[in-house]
Amino acid sequence: MWKVTLKGLLAHKLRLALTGLAIVLGVTFISGTLVLTDTLHNTFDTLFGHIYQKVDFVVRAETAFTSNGQGGGAQRKSIPESVITSVRNTPGVAGAEGNITGVPAQYVAKDGKAITTGGAPNLGLSYDPNPQLSSLTLAEGSPPTTSTEVAMDEGTAQKYGFHPGDRVKILLPGVPETFTISGLVRFGTANNLAGATLAAFDLPTAQVLFDQVGHYNSINILAQPGADKANVQRAIARGLPPGVEVVTGQTVANENTNSINQALSFFSTALLVFAFISLFVGAFTIFNTFSITVGQRTRELALLRIVGASRRQLFRSVLLEAGLLGLVASLVGLGLGVLGALGLEALLKGFGITLPSGPLIFQTRTVIACLVVGIGVTVIAAISPARRAVRIPPVAAISDHQGQATELSTRRLLVGGVFAVAGIALLAVGLTKPAIQLVGLGAVGIFIGIGMLAPTFARPLASVLGRPLAGILGISGRLGRENSMRSPRRTAQTSSALMVGLALVATIAVFGASLSKSATSSVDNAISADYIITAAGNGGGQGGFSNSVAPVAARLPGVTAVSTVYAGQFEFQRSVSSLAAVSADHLAQTVILRMDSGTSAPALAAGELLVDTTVANSKHLSVGSAIPVKFAQTGSSTMRIGGIYKPNALIGSFLVGDSFFLSHFNNPLPIAVLLRTSSGPTITPTVTSGLSAYPNVKIQTRSQFEQSQQAQVNQLLGLVYALLALAVVISLIGIVNTLMLSVFERTHEIGLLRAVGMRRRQIRAMIRSESVIIAVFGALIGIVVGSVLGAALSASLKNQGITDIVIPVPNLVVFLVLAALLGLGAAAWPARRAAKLDVLAAIAAD
Amino acid sequence: MVLTDQASTGTAASPPPAARAIDLVKTYGKGDAVVRALDAINVEFERGRFTAVMGPSGSGKSTLMHCMAGLDTPTSGRTFVGSEEIGLLDDSGLTQMRRDRIGFVFQSFNLVPTLTAGENITLPADLAGAKVDQEWFHYLVEQLGISDRLSHRPTEMSGGQQQRAACARALINRPDLIFADEPTGNLDSNSSAEMLAFLRRSVTEFGQSIVMVTHDPRGAANADRVVFLADGRVEGELVSPTADSVLERMKRLGS
Ligand SMILES: Nc1ncnc2c1ncn2[C@@H]1O[C@H](COP(=O)(O)OP(=O)(O)O)[C@@H](O)[C@H]1O
Ligand SMILES: [Mg+2]
Repeated sequence: MWKVTLKGLLAHKLRLALTGLAIVLGVTFISGTLVLTDTLHNTFDTLFGHIYQKVDFVVRAETAFTSNGQGGGAQRKSIPESVITSVRNTPGVAGAEGNITGVPAQYVAKDGKAITTGGAPNLGLSYDPNPQLSSLTLAEGSPPTTSTEVAMDEGTAQKYGFHPGDRVKILLPGVPETFTISGLVRFGTANNLAGATLAAFDLPTAQVLFDQVGHYNSINILAQPGADKANVQRAIARGLPPGVEVVTGQTVANENTNSINQALSFFSTALLVFAFISLFVGAFTIFNTFSITVGQRTRELALLRIVGASRRQLFRSVLLEAGLLGLVASLVGLGLGVLGALGLEALLKGFGITLPSGPLIFQTRTVIACLVVGIGVTVIAAISPARRAVRIPPVAAISDHQGQATELSTRRLLVGGVFAVAGIALLAVGLTKPAIQLVGLGAVGIFIGIGMLAPTFARPLASVLGRPLAGILGISGRLGRENSMRSPRRTAQTSSALMVGLALVATIAVFGASLSKSATSSVDNAISADYIITAAGNGGGQGGFSNSVAPVAARLPGVTAVSTVYAGQFEFQRSVSSLAAVSADHLAQTVILRMDSGTSAPALAAGELLVDTTVANSKHLSVGSAIPVKFAQTGSSTMRIGGIYKPNALIGSFLVGDSFFLSHFNNPLPIAVLLRTSSGPTITPTVTSGLSAYPNVKIQTRSQFEQSQQAQVNQLLGLVYALLALAVVISLIGIVNTLMLSVFERTHEIGLLRAVGMRRRQIRAMIRSESVIIAVFGALIGIVVGSVLGAALSASLKNQGITDIVIPVPNLVVFLVLAALLGLGAAAWPARRAAKLDVLAAIAAD
Repeated sequence: MVLTDQASTGTAASPPPAARAIDLVKTYGKGDAVVRALDAINVEFERGRFTAVMGPSGSGKSTLMHCMAGLDTPTSGRTFVGSEEIGLLDDSGLTQMRRDRIGFVFQSFNLVPTLTAGENITLPADLAGAKVDQEWFHYLVEQLGISDRLSHRPTEMSGGQQQRAACARALINRPDLIFADEPTGNLDSNSSAEMLAFLRRSVTEFGQSIVMVTHDPRGAANADRVVFLADGRVEGELVSPTADSVLERMKRLGS
């Protein structure tokens, strides 16, 4: 039986290649993602491992919060300088140096533009002259030793053409200053830190620039050679004030790696989701191909039964065929994945996400995962066709009376209905909970269910879709339409892969349009300022910008109100949450707060906490409630709820006044400055030139801000579309595959048509018509299903700020037209193949 | 009652016939369109003998073969291969029976297109996981004159060669009985004669039991006995037939 299977596979190399391709692409995606993330893990592991190789201990403040925030990084206070004396005097300590780290220290390039990184921070640090304790190594020039010198990271220097001795302007928490580059540094062995820029100052300068005079962020310690490290650590700990801890360098290295790995795992999970979508679509293609080929091999399979193959042997043979196909495809995909990793990196770079470079890491786990998934998907998709194969009665091989049992079984309808209903139920539960796994499972159920139900309406729908083609193309169009109608199951199954692909595209389109519209209206409902100033470039203003921007802007002619927006983390009822702050004085002129109860400005001025209705409802809070909170700098306290506001997309769920914020956070940086003017958004030149000293801020009118919010949404959508494109490509391969199989199957018929005078051109038109009908059929169902899914998804996120549901009809029509064109494209090869059939051979063929 | 008892236990005196049918009925379709392809057939095929089945087209010859070989399920009645009642076998029993005890040759589409002639011939043995009797294999292909065609695919062989490969395949497991449904129907007269001679020899030389459907009176003359069918019923038989006696009988049936 092995032999029969193998020979059968090899006899149909083309079919093998086309079917395998669907799996190859999905597995490539998986292996690419795994290779890429493993590579990144490794890069960071070695980077941090190297940096903390020689550092024995680190002294730092304990983490402020018992639970860690979503960002991963723990909040820590700085420690007083005096600690270092007791550390240095501890027996067994060979050396100890204090460090400062702060943001921003953003370089201004020679053309006057602020250097942005697309997400990574612009770090400022103190340069530690002790090479064994420093995370930095000097690559060129000399270390910074005066208050006007800086050491620049080699990566930035190379990219922007800076050399030791050059002057460079740096944007800082305070006013921008100009420094002389004393030398170039590396971070450990890397020429920069994962895309972040580095500016190293001498210790006293760093303390001044980041407002840490008399403090350190941490102290790096070197033990004496041969000392008992555990003893030394204990001895250091005894000399430390409360709230300060000593940990090993290894611990810090691990913490750093872990927090980066957490971020990476989010990224790899997202990519894997798309990989599985591709494989899911691939499974439809495999299922369809196997169904068709089992049908076409009815006689051969029946003959095997006659000469003594048992049902089990046939079943195993079909599954074995699938398994071998999956194996080969997975191996190819595995190899291509390495190339894919490079491709993904390039794709992400195209979207502004730069990743550090390192040697490619290819783990055994990658091989196993790819093989298991690739083979698993193929075999599972082949189970149902295999079961059909074993039900073929032996007489089918010899009987001239081929029972045309193509009518759809009620069982199929029933099972399909159950899948669809269960899918909808899971989806509904998943969306209300919310539980993303259930949403995914529900979608899978809906797709399978609709895939099973689709054959029932394939004939009428194909008939309607085909009518215009029959009108335009005459006989070719009519035959194409007939062909798509004669096997409704095949038409439906072939198009179901495209259905899934387009359903996802439509979901995203509807969701994106709703998000985009909501972003616009939420800006209108959240901000009344005329100008919004944010940090340019770095990840939507996360880094913040200079404190001096707001006072400068307040002095500009025509500006009537200025509000500074801050954001930070605090612990609210023991869970870390984001807290925003605005100026209480000019609240009404700059921010729109629709109060549900309590007061806004007076409460903020009184140092009370405002929460939005979502939090108030879920935690049963009301005005006057006293809530335990904790701040990293000032510790635990209790706050009174002064007011409850309707959800505000830009403020978030927790709001305090700026003076309260400044007294509980150490030198926070504004994330936005809001300006109100006496004449609306008409003084752009004044504001721009007034703030020209700060090239790292972006000045936008409210409508420009709305547009940039939309642009962000659209950029994200672009990335998602690009990732979904693979699924669509796979579904097209499925169409090519089916058409090829149909052409082979109808060799006789096509020969006959040619014999009675059909032109090659007409044959091609016939195949193309069929393909277009299949593609439009799948696309239409997919777009309808996807629109409903997208609307449901958007509706379920109402509380998260998606207030409008938009069905972008023009976009969806474009997708439908694109699908028709893709169908036309998919037919190219099968049509050529059909047209090339030799008339005589076709008629003679058995 | 007496008859069925005998049938199921087998009589002590003589071994059971190679195959037999008792009140075999097979209908196709439903309602008005019902076709009675076999209409209460009772027939026996003896061991070690060459039996031909003849009758007009549509008289139920193929249906009879299929039902008696367990390829198709009768509407009613019983069929036996040796002492084994086909209706009592489950699918795996039937599979084993087809593989080990029955050989088939059809008019066309006898060979798996993706396998070579040699692989097709050993297929039943391979499926059973049994070792191929090499001596027997070589004897068969030698006798059938296809030893130089063993590595060819069916599409690369003539119709006669394909049928001879099918013959070898039918014989490879030394089955109790071979069913051949118009094995020479697509062949020219030379190939046809060679093929029939081989079947005859296998009966004479090593006692093979064969049941063969044919249209050709000269072909039927190779058999020990001819059973005539018409409209799904047995319409008599002829022992030690000659081409002329068969032809004459056919004429009477046809009229
Ligand atoms: N699968 C089938 N479905 C319907 N009718 C059938 C089927 N197989 C055979 N028949 C009918 O049964 C009768 C006998 O057929 P068959 O045994 O093939 O005849 P023969 O082999 O003698 O030419 C014919 O009338 C034929 O049309
Ligand atoms: Mg027949």
